Amino acid sequence: MNFETIDQLKRRTFLQNSFSGMGALSMAGLLGGQQNLFGQSSDVDGVLGETRHRPVKVKRVIHLCMAGGQSHLESFDNKPKLAELDGKPMPASFTEGQQLAQLQKSAGKLKCMGPRYAFKKWGKSGQEISEVFPHIGSVADEIAIIRSMQTEQINHDPAHTFMNTGSIIPGRPSMGAWVNYGIGSASEDLPGFVVLTSEGGGQGQPISSRQWNNGFLPSRHQGVQFQSKGDAVHYVNNPAGVTRDAQRGVVDTVNQLNRLLGERRLDPEIEGRIAQYEMAFKMQASVPGLMDVSAESAKTLEMYGCTPEDGSFAANCLLARRLAERDVRFIQLYHRGWDHHGAIQDKFRKTAEIVDQGTAALIRDLKERGMLDDTLIIFGGEFGRTPMAQGSGRDHHINAFSMFMCGGGIKGGVTHGATDELGYAAVEDPVHVHDLHATMLHLLGVDHKKLTYRFQGRDFRLTDVFGHLIKPILA
Amino acid sequence: MFYRTIYSALALFALIVPAAKAEEKLSFNRDIRPILSDKCFHCHGPDKNTREADIRLDTREGALAEESIVPGDIKASEVYWRITSDDEDDIMPPPDSNKHLTSEEKKLVERWIKEGAEYEAHWAYLSVEPASSEHSIDDFVAERLAAVGLERSKSADPVTVLRRLHFDITGIPPTEEEAKRFGETDLGSYVDGLLASPHFGERMAIEWLDAVRYADSVGYHGDQLIEVSAYRDWVINAFNANMPFDQFTIEQIAGDLLSDATLQQKVASVFNRLGQTSEEGGIQNAEYLAKYQAERVRTTTTTWMGATLACAECHDHKFDPYSTKDFYQFAAFFADILEKGAWTGDGSFQEDIKPYEAQGYKFGKRGPMLSVPSEEDEARLKELGQKLAAQKTQSQVITPELKAGAAKWVKEQVAVMAKDGPVDYVILSERGEKRNIETKGWKFVGADQGQVFDGSVSRLQESKGLIQHIGNGKGDPLEVADGDELYAYVFLDPKNPPSEVMLQFHHEKGGWNHRAWWGRDEIPYGKGTKGPAHFKAGELPESGKWIRLSVSVKDLGLKAGEKLTQFAFTQFGGKVFWDQSGLTTKNEKYRWGGFSQELNEAIKKPESDRNKKDQAAILTHYRTIAPELESVRNAIAQLDGQMTGIKAGIRTVPATVSAKRRVIRILARGNWMDKSGEVVQPGTPHFLPDHREGDLTRLDLAKWLVSPENPLTSRTFVNRMWARFFGSGISGAVEDLGSQGQWPTHPELLDHLAAGFVESGWDMKQLVKTIVLSETYRQSSNATPALQERDPYNRLLARQSGIRLVAELVRDNALAVSGLLNPEVGGPSARPYQPAGYYQHLNFPRRTYKAGADASQYRRGVYTHWQRTFLHPAMRAFDAPSREECAVKRDVSSTPLQALVLLNDPTFVEAAKALAENESSIPEMFQRVLTRAPDAAELEVLTKFYHSELARFEKEPNYADALLAVGMKAIPKTESHVQLAARTSVARSILNLQEVITRY
Repeated sequence: MNFETIDQLKRRTFLQNSFSGMGALSMAGLLGGQQNLFGQSSDVDGVLGETRHRPVKVKRVIHLCMAGGQSHLESFDNKPKLAELDGKPMPASFTEGQQLAQLQKSAGKLKCMGPRYAFKKWGKSGQEISEVFPHIGSVADEIAIIRSMQTEQINHDPAHTFMNTGSIIPGRPSMGAWVNYGIGSASEDLPGFVVLTSEGGGQGQPISSRQWNNGFLPSRHQGVQFQSKGDAVHYVNNPAGVTRDAQRGVVDTVNQLNRLLGERRLDPEIEGRIAQYEMAFKMQASVPGLMDVSAESAKTLEMYGCTPEDGSFAANCLLARRLAERDVRFIQLYHRGWDHHGAIQDKFRKTAEIVDQGTAALIRDLKERGMLDDTLIIFGGEFGRTPMAQGSGRDHHINAFSMFMCGGGIKGGVTHGATDELGYAAVEDPVHVHDLHATMLHLLGVDHKKLTYRFQGRDFRLTDVFGHLIKPILA
Repeated sequence: MFYRTIYSALALFALIVPAAKAEEKLSFNRDIRPILSDKCFHCHGPDKNTREADIRLDTREGALAEESIVPGDIKASEVYWRITSDDEDDIMPPPDSNKHLTSEEKKLVERWIKEGAEYEAHWAYLSVEPASSEHSIDDFVAERLAAVGLERSKSADPVTVLRRLHFDITGIPPTEEEAKRFGETDLGSYVDGLLASPHFGERMAIEWLDAVRYADSVGYHGDQLIEVSAYRDWVINAFNANMPFDQFTIEQIAGDLLSDATLQQKVASVFNRLGQTSEEGGIQNAEYLAKYQAERVRTTTTTWMGATLACAECHDHKFDPYSTKDFYQFAAFFADILEKGAWTGDGSFQEDIKPYEAQGYKFGKRGPMLSVPSEEDEARLKELGQKLAAQKTQSQVITPELKAGAAKWVKEQVAVMAKDGPVDYVILSERGEKRNIETKGWKFVGADQGQVFDGSVSRLQESKGLIQHIGNGKGDPLEVADGDELYAYVFLDPKNPPSEVMLQFHHEKGGWNHRAWWGRDEIPYGKGTKGPAHFKAGELPESGKWIRLSVSVKDLGLKAGEKLTQFAFTQFGGKVFWDQSGLTTKNEKYRWGGFSQELNEAIKKPESDRNKKDQAAILTHYRTIAPELESVRNAIAQLDGQMTGIKAGIRTVPATVSAKRRVIRILARGNWMDKSGEVVQPGTPHFLPDHREGDLTRLDLAKWLVSPENPLTSRTFVNRMWARFFGSGISGAVEDLGSQGQWPTHPELLDHLAAGFVESGWDMKQLVKTIVLSETYRQSSNATPALQERDPYNRLLARQSGIRLVAELVRDNALAVSGLLNPEVGGPSARPYQPAGYYQHLNFPRRTYKAGADASQYRRGVYTHWQRTFLHPAMRAFDAPSREECAVKRDVSSTPLQALVLLNDPTFVEAAKALAENESSIPEMFQRVLTRAPDAAELEVLTKFYHSELARFEKEPNYADALLAVGMKAIPKTESHVQLAARTSVARSILNLQEVITRY
């Protein structure tokens, strides 16, 4: 949804209100150069307008965030050597001088923990995926596994912040906001950045709304969280005793009076406000329409393995497809349940069971509908887990973890990068979070170096001053 | 679209920089620095580590050294041929930098070199020019307008001016009475009245709290709650008291270091503890200390200096002369604050905290805490303390009656001793002082509130299910002997009896498996087992009278010599008064009621042998039971209870305590694990006036910030205040007065105001008054199309700006006009209605939001509970920042989410209902909200809608009832619901108007 309409843009010519952050910031551009003239044109759709620096491979992104830190050693990174050393001391050469999280107290007494499950080769490509992900295994030929992810933050909150914003300073814009800022939203009546959450299988670490915040970008780019209980979007339902017709009456009355005001006073905000009321009224119908999955076929529901509106990860995957169909630009699903400090044997399997089928169903469903080609799916957590045991579980780990990407512009059936023989550190083709961001923007047709926003005198980027494309996985 | 943008931008450029006329010499700061800073300094600027080809262009010396610039000679100047080159390999900036110079900019640089390439120090680092006594705000603005052939707009109509003053100064719209007074009073006096309102401080606090990142939760990870509202009150009070800004600064940064710091000065210094903190498991102390120190630098330098020193955490600043060392020296000012990095078991303070505990600091989850009683609390505690002392004195008076009573009591005790039979040894009675009753859910009641068996109170327990309270005897275990019985007195309410009552006893070694129960078997404890763990002692006792429940120790499976440590009084459902409980025993030890050795001996002695000590022991004990002292004892208990209650309600704040300064090193590339960097002392940025470094404190920093030589502080604050009253700052980037910021549209005016501010003694109210009394401020904000086209951002101030109300004021306005607003100033944070389940992602602990169910529901927005990770959705929708970080500028967006809030948030629906209730007609509602009557067209639209709603509600009256049930405010039964609901619908429309949420 464009929070402001084309019509309004025309009226406003190029400069909007005189007191907005955008406005003042753009003045810097006017005086200092024209970089920010881009910023100026961001009124309506993306700041880039129709411009793209690269061929557009995908129109939208679906990020399936395995919140809590999914173990790579039980999912996508098979380590037979680690199995051999199960229960034996972790060679000190691996961990010396490295930052540990909760295991910092056990330094010196670290022991290896072998992978908890067997790995299998899946599909024609023979990609190795653990046995607890049979559904994802069944779409192995569609996905590009990255085994050499690295991040910089070892605790949940800052690691999520880093994964989402490319910065460890709280309050920077999240990637969904950057994407909407850059190329705008294509949806007529829904926000351009939607967030859905679910939990189960393990301890649910908190998730802050900071993770989908707009930071210093204009607020209209912030992610809107859809709730599984109560109103799907805050205040989307009418007050008690107010029918849709009656609400229409309120909106009409407001807009008529605002138009009368507009006749007396030259304020470009008035037209904008009228448009926002129309949009809000539309949303009041479109959001419930989106959430109502009663028209989905039994076959579809069976494929996802969910009952409608049960708030599960699989139900959210189905909603993700529905959001994608409605041209929502950036869709983010969090599943809170991967923080397996203890009892990983049991809990990892449980959590895997919760996300496995829905993930695979989403990929398959998009493919059947011809939408996988213009969608990018990113799957993975904010970090990985230690090859060392923490009791019966694993601790947080940042030197190596696995993710997968799938969809338009991505090669299917490939595995990229590798960790050392114990899965401790990425040693072959390490992929940094900034690289992930750069690649995501690239697939959207955007050069990550050219999407900037001036804040406090500096041209900020999602990738800061870093970021390389993960070329081997690009189709 | 992009191209149109360019053309318009160029037109604007010409407008904004009119002084760059052909005949006039260029100004480096105005015309050239913005170009060089943005396009060149990144690689040829202050950061020596990333300087390319060893060429720097940020100083004249550097630029001339390698003939990058040869004054007057463009052909010899490398800079010139580089920026004008067609060759991709030669051109500067290089194509991959995504920067390039426009032809306008190239021409300016060319002209500047020809004119001699004079440099100027960056304007914001130069001393503030003294205020001109001849010039007013209006003069400066008029001169600038005249230079471009414009003039000021006429004054806005009086109602608009009145509303503007109200929103800007108090944040509360005018009442009819105020509107009337405004017409009868001169402007200056009226403004004085607004400045004297206690709501002035609340309005001023909003933006200040953004800057100092005030919030009610810690932000990181579990985002746990933290009580800091006393600091917010301090801010509000300081604005209201017109505390000079220098003092305001000193007290916040270093109030704790002032000699003989008052409690309020210590509260002010809580500023230093407002940053985000973490208690996430597994975090490293040193890592989070590095995060906190960097955050403090960001907040302090942005708020006071409009500086981006934060950029120098990992490398020297790219555009301004700040070095990495400047960053860490600045951080070192705060290294004395007693704190942990990880607020977990893994974190540690920089030194032993015992001395601080000895000073009276209590240590809570976030370290040292400061108790902040309000003035009322203090006064009340003093008063109650005096009353308590009087009662205690009273209780010590020895009267003949007391002596006689004591003598009689001694005789009774002697008689008991003489008997062979068992006696009742009381283990719990009255308020259970000795037994420290634990569990909640019950209360003490006197005879006026229910039934009492003996003494002055019993314990009332009422529930629909299982409920119990527990007496603790751990410090004084009860020993049982053969033949003993345990008992308790109960009074079952005849109207609401329980289904079961149970006595449970905790064995010193064996746990709770000693239970006796009466009635129906519903209490789960011991259920299903037989024997002493679940002994059925009888049917439910008779209700409506005191009954003694009693059970032998044998039936409870207890043997002689075994000891009990806890006593539970359990019931299922109903209403029960519980009173005296004890042991019926022959045990010698308890014959004397378990008296002290001293008292026992005194009683045993013949009266003639008792010395003074014996007499005193007897009287001391007797006073606790003497019937004639019952009223005194009750009074003491009541006073004690009141004082405990007040003390429990006293707010605390995390204290700023100055301790041993941590060693601060320069962290290479900001890496906290790198311990190789140079150790630094506190110091101010090296290039700014009055540079100091060494063994300095936060107090030195605070004084440096507000010293008259400091060029940044006064400009920064005045510029930000200006932005609040006009929509944008005189220098447009209020958050950055540095090289990448903006050349002020009215540099002389900015200095005039900044200097005047300092000369006035940093008088904040005077500053506001000066601004709002100017004609510039009072202009109409209604632009003509020509003016809108020519100066769309209103940088030249040929008019006022319409400004959408900030989030807090959107709320305040609706509550005020509907009569719901609770005008109370200060106090704990309030919790407005909020969608259910919004906190579902919070954990450690999990939380359920409870909206305020009393008058706190209607408090002003500035008091709204600020949960950093999940800010109230209505506040968020209207662009309130999360306050995770310092924020000195709010976005002003226009989104459908805002419409949804105003249309459907119960706060606004309830306000509409209240407005409809208070004002009995559409014109009256309209007038109350907008301080003006609706015109005919407006009235027609509203009336038409009223009738359509009236028809709808008449057809479906249950809709009317449903709408009127929104919110907790009850509606009067007197009026027709149908009409009230129809008016409510109209009121909803009015409260949604653009004119209502905009200050024009």
